[in-house]
Amino acid sequence: MSRFPFGLVLGWGLVLLILVAIGIDLSGFEIPSLYWPTLLAWTGVALAYAIIQQGVLVYVTKRLLEAIFVLWVIATLTFLLLRFLPGGPFDEEKALPPEVKANIERKYGLHEPVPKQYVNYLIKISQGDLGESYKYIGRSVTDIIGETLPVSAQMGFYSLLLAFLIGIPIGVFAANRHNTGWDSAAMIFAISGVALPSFMVGPLLVMIFSFGIPISAFAGLLPPALWETPIHYILPVVTLGVRPAGIIARMMRASVLEVIKADFVRTAHAKGLSQTLVLYKHVLKNSLIPVLTISGPLIAGILSGSFVNEIIFAVPGMGKHLIQSVTNRDYPLVLGITLVYAALLVFANLIVDLLYVVVDPRIKLS
Amino acid sequence: MQNKVLRAAIVCLSLVFITSCTKKGQDVVVQLADGTSVKAANNETLRVNLTTEPPTLDWDKSSDTTSSHVSMNLMEGLVEYDFNDKELGLKPSLALKWESSNSARTWKFTLRQGVKWTDGVEFTAQHVIDGWKRLLDPATASQYAYSMFGIKNAEEFSQGKIKDFSQVGVSAPTPYELVVELKQSMAYFPYLLTHHAAFPIRADVVKKHGDKWTEPGNIVTLGPFKLAAWQHDNQILLERNDSYYGEKPSIKYVLMYMILEQATAINLFDSGKLDAVVNLPATELRSLKKRPEYKELGILQLYYYGMNTKVPPMNNVKVRKALAHAIDKKRVVQMLDGGEIPMSSWIPPGMFGYEAERGLTFDPVKAKELLKQAGYPDPSKLPTLTIGFNTNENHQRIAENIQAQLKENLGINVELKNEEWKVYLNSLTTGTYPLFRFGWLADFPDPHNFFSLITGNSDNNKTFWKNAEFDTLISQGASESDKSKRRDIYSRAQKILVEDDVPVIPILASVQHALVSTRTENFPLNAMDQRIYKGVKLK
Repeated sequence: MSRFPFGLVLGWGLVLLILVAIGIDLSGFEIPSLYWPTLLAWTGVALAYAIIQQGVLVYVTKRLLEAIFVLWVIATLTFLLLRFLPGGPFDEEKALPPEVKANIERKYGLHEPVPKQYVNYLIKISQGDLGESYKYIGRSVTDIIGETLPVSAQMGFYSLLLAFLIGIPIGVFAANRHNTGWDSAAMIFAISGVALPSFMVGPLLVMIFSFGIPISAFAGLLPPALWETPIHYILPVVTLGVRPAGIIARMMRASVLEVIKADFVRTAHAKGLSQTLVLYKHVLKNSLIPVLTISGPLIAGILSGSFVNEIIFAVPGMGKHLIQSVTNRDYPLVLGITLVYAALLVFANLIVDLLYVVVDPRIKLS
Repeated sequence: MQNKVLRAAIVCLSLVFITSCTKKGQDVVVQLADGTSVKAANNETLRVNLTTEPPTLDWDKSSDTTSSHVSMNLMEGLVEYDFNDKELGLKPSLALKWESSNSARTWKFTLRQGVKWTDGVEFTAQHVIDGWKRLLDPATASQYAYSMFGIKNAEEFSQGKIKDFSQVGVSAPTPYELVVELKQSMAYFPYLLTHHAAFPIRADVVKKHGDKWTEPGNIVTLGPFKLAAWQHDNQILLERNDSYYGEKPSIKYVLMYMILEQATAINLFDSGKLDAVVNLPATELRSLKKRPEYKELGILQLYYYGMNTKVPPMNNVKVRKALAHAIDKKRVVQMLDGGEIPMSSWIPPGMFGYEAERGLTFDPVKAKELLKQAGYPDPSKLPTLTIGFNTNENHQRIAENIQAQLKENLGINVELKNEEWKVYLNSLTTGTYPLFRFGWLADFPDPHNFFSLITGNSDNNKTFWKNAEFDTLISQGASESDKSKRRDIYSRAQKILVEDDVPVIPILASVQHALVSTRTENFPLNAMDQRIYKGVKLK
């Protein structure tokens, strides 16, 4: 009896689920609330299956334990740094009378000695309670993150997708036409993408596509800001995506040029395969490893780039809270968001490491 | 066979799935909390920018302007400002009339009858008492609790020394009468009631929903608008309250965005998505001023330089006076080019107690002379002064201008140092800077609000200056109910502050700059920066 191809079904099922989600979202529909748990469960099962199948359970467990340690260190450092920062959460332009300040500090447990506050804090986060924001009265940090993270994630996901969709073909294209005008043009685009800061790219795109400067036919083509319908996504996603796209294109080009010289490519040519087939069947997959390697840092770049982007395009995401919460000395919110970002980063790197095995079967994780 | 079942299952699932999708909101369709959506038609919707997520709509707890820009549309107080009055008097709101007795120590308010909350319950004096009780309750931990400390035993209740609220000086002899007993005479007491901290509240609603009582569907209010939707960090929709007791607003909706970056807000204004942008970026004023939508209006906000009177050379009054004489405020204002008003006195224009002629005038010759008398015939011998300010483009420009003026007019060297806001506040408390910038926006338009900042025991006094005569005058002024006597008292106090002792150098009175779309009439630009939209009309 042939074995049921669980891996294939899980893998392609996940891809299909993600594609359907993108399809619904981009066609201007709300993704049904039941869809998310389904996607999450599916991802979990697929991951678990892959981990067991690849025999990396021990490795992943070890990495997860390391991740918990890393998060603890980050939580502790952030906690201490905030307490060392001059100026407290309730210092305002209009100074508060001492008794009023005392009432407020008592409410948030700030009257306790710092070591006690630290212990209380650790106990709370181990129970999954990130506390209540000092600035947004009555709103828990979990609520704030829960309401804003999905928007940031959506923007980041599309930007990354765009970066891969543009970056990889451009890289392959440039390598294939190595040392021609096309190659130079592609690399000029890529380097511009890397070099231009988003606070310049964003307003520039707004100028061109919202206000029609200098080509008046483009006026009103795209909304200059907000995050309401798919048409609103275009400018922020492009602005956030061009930088990683440039990095990927350059990386991809270098990698393809390397692989093209390999013996198995010559063999493929010798078999009489067409250039396109050789390029997309044999070269592409083998060139992806360096691109995969930088995906971890790229995700970090997307996360940090999102602060500026969310402000330029008035996207209701989490990025602006990271900056504002520090300015406000909103300790629980700073800690909560820092932890979420750290966890995302650690997790993204873990996934990237696991993907190595898929792309290059010679690599064994242990 | 299996394949068929599988295919059928997939088709069924897809159908279920597709039908469960709902269309996302277009720009004027706002999702409500209950899952339904409302179409806010463009011609009856005013679209404004709140800048950020309001920290809370709980008017007992909020302490920032953003929150008040929402809650002031949802609620009303016993009295409200009369913005048609030159010195900003009061007019009736939930209270029809008020009178003081016992030389402004006891106040009696007669309340309006027939006012309904949005859930149909009738408004009574008990709701006011409930509001004040909650405001003062230590468990509420309200930042504005102190605004009611003038009431007898209120401070003690807030400190937890008194547990029984009936001992606090507020009572309701009948459902439509409120009697307030103060600790001491307070001529300006009704002004405090314009603030959202003093608004009535429905204790039963707060109790029922806890921290979530301000969410749409839970919140119960009585103002011209009601809260229809609140998508956190994104937008708020206010809807006309058809059971409002007063004249009902002509617009049906107010859509409030939360756009942090002013340049982005201006972009949205230009693409017709916003009807108003208030507080324009200072560096772009020059070009924005030429636009037909541009508006400016003075607000009751003072921008001043304070001096740490404890450290040399600022402990010498002659040095302080020399500095005050050496700064030409007109030059600062010209540099800013935003219509600001140069100031030499402490009380901003548009308020009772303003004296245009009060204060030290620009006189570099006299300044040098004073510096000589102070023991610095060679100004370069004066220790290098540091001007502190919080990081902000405008503060930087003003500090650079003053630095240049002090070099030119007095020949003294000045260094600039900027710090992040909360670090800066901390530095001011510890007296780090000999010269520093600070400001004050009126809580209520009465001189007491400005003078009490700088009294000897005020936490807001960062100059460490103390003058017993000044302090006495300020407490006299607070309890004096005769307007002309009061004016006289404050004039004497102002002379001590800005002519005799000079712990502060007033620089300018601020102006609010805005772009308001041509279709919007009666957009609320006023001296108190209150944004109440009930009078707005859309063409």
